[in-house]
Amino acid sequence: MQSRVSRVTIALMIVATAGCADPPTEQIQEAEKALKDARESGASTYSPDEYAKLEGTLDAIRKEVSEQDGKFALFRDYGKAQQLSVSAKADSERIKVATAQKKEEGRAAAMQAQQVAEEAVRAAQELAAKAPVGKDRAAVEAIKNDIEGLKSLLKQVQVSIDKEDYPAAQTQAKAINEMSQGVQNELQQALAKVGRGKSARSSRH
Amino acid sequence: MDVGQLNRLLTSALCMFSFAGCVQAVPPDLLTALESIDQDLIALRAPETAPEEYGSFVRQWIALKTRAELDDDLIRWPWETSELENELRGLYVRGERTVSQLHDRKVARQQQAQSKVEGIEDRLFHLTSQVGAIDGRIVLGEQVVQTHHLVRQARSFLEAEDYQRALHLAEQAEQGLMDQTTRLVEELGRYADPKRIASWQTMARQTIEWSRAYQSPAIVVSKAERELTLYLNGRKVLSYPVRLGFNGIREKQVQGDGATPEGRYRVTDKRGPGQTQFYRALVLDYPNAEDRRRFNLSKKAGRIAPGRGIGGLIEIHGVENESAEQTLGCVMLDNPNMAALFERVTVGTPITIVGALTKTNAVALALSSLTQQREEI
Repeated sequence: MQSRVSRVTIALMIVATAGCADPPTEQIQEAEKALKDARESGASTYSPDEYAKLEGTLDAIRKEVSEQDGKFALFRDYGKAQQLSVSAKADSERIKVATAQKKEEGRAAAMQAQQVAEEAVRAAQELAAKAPVGKDRAAVEAIKNDIEGLKSLLKQVQVSIDKEDYPAAQTQAKAINEMSQGVQNELQQALAKVGRGKSARSSRH
Repeated sequence: MDVGQLNRLLTSALCMFSFAGCVQAVPPDLLTALESIDQDLIALRAPETAPEEYGSFVRQWIALKTRAELDDDLIRWPWETSELENELRGLYVRGERTVSQLHDRKVARQQQAQSKVEGIEDRLFHLTSQVGAIDGRIVLGEQVVQTHHLVRQARSFLEAEDYQRALHLAEQAEQGLMDQTTRLVEELGRYADPKRIASWQTMARQTIEWSRAYQSPAIVVSKAERELTLYLNGRKVLSYPVRLGFNGIREKQVQGDGATPEGRYRVTDKRGPGQTQFYRALVLDYPNAEDRRRFNLSKKAGRIAPGRGIGGLIEIHGVENESAEQTLGCVMLDNPNMAALFERVTVGTPITIVGALTKTNAVALALSSLTQQREEI
């Protein structure tokens, strides 16, 4: 009789233990937070496909938990949901790191392009100072306007860098560099033709 | 049935089961095909250009893939239907449709962006050549480089297959071109204004009349035509091409603006060799009373910055440096022409400088062409 009671107790304990399986709430929250951190770091822009997949994974986890919740307590199994949460968290952290790296690469490339553009504008400005004003003053004045315009455009590059829009910054800087090179060529041709110009001697006009 | 027959029957049944066997819950090639759809969408840059469509696909794909992975230990009989497999097949069909739609959309966007960028490049080229033909580049100041910058960026983004940005920049450039045309019309519209042209024609006619009445020389300079004409006793005796100020097409406002003044002037001094750096020179009475009145009005209206002067020392002169293409505001002739003119002109000779004498002057034609382009935009 005593042995039968013990067997029943053991069976009940097994049932109780099995029936007490809890959803991996903490792991899911950690995965959600990791994904949120990844999004805030720019993952949806820099790794959009991977980010979208992780969002899908979290949906799947929630669905799996909900399905397990709907089952009879004895048959609930949150093991897969837990495993997916852990993997989603790790993947979110990985794309956050990858995003930071891509951003840094983008920033470095944009800043390099900015520097090249600044140097090109400066070189054009120095050349314009030597321009033969006596020959084609209209062209020289127009070039000076262009150089002033290019200097203003350099500010736009900085604005794009500040906004972390590195592709825009790089494209803007590249265009400024090319245009500055064009201005330099124009000036060099003018200088080659007539040498250093001289300013007009008349005082008024 | 004897034992042998029973054995054969059992063996046959076993063989049938062995051949038919059980199958996996989801065919692996279906998962591979969906993986390929996902790759196609990524190649089409769907995550960036169509995030909603991609998000919708990828959510279902990941959900079903996860289920397939969770159920990877399940097997089924070949004749059993699998709900998961059906859903995956449905997603595959939808995914293929999405790939096709996005591909078509990409091609359409590419064509739209390409056409827009090429169109704006053509318009920029047209504007640049028209502005160059009338020496109007300086009028536009920094606007020129700003528009060029936008067009170059649009081209770069088009080549990088970022059609959205390319279109956006091309639209900004289009606005820049319209603004430039507006600026040119504001600054130079008087060359296309029939009343103003009529007024200039009257001024020229009166100068010629004066020459006839007083049996004296008189000069008319037309800026748009870049031409100086000498009248003697009301008759045209010679006509020479001239070069103007580096900003000559504009109406003179202040010292150093490079514009050539418009109005009625007289020769106040004749400077021969040794008296001028420019071969020979006829000094004009700029600024005259009318110039001062206009200058003061503009100053009062705030159109002229405080501290700016009206300028002076406007001349008709020869060439100091043969390669010089403009002056600082004077009217310049080639030296042989200047010599001929110098001989026929005296102190007091009237000189009328006008914008244009015909409605079909070069500036008016360029403005008309640019305005037409703006209207087409």
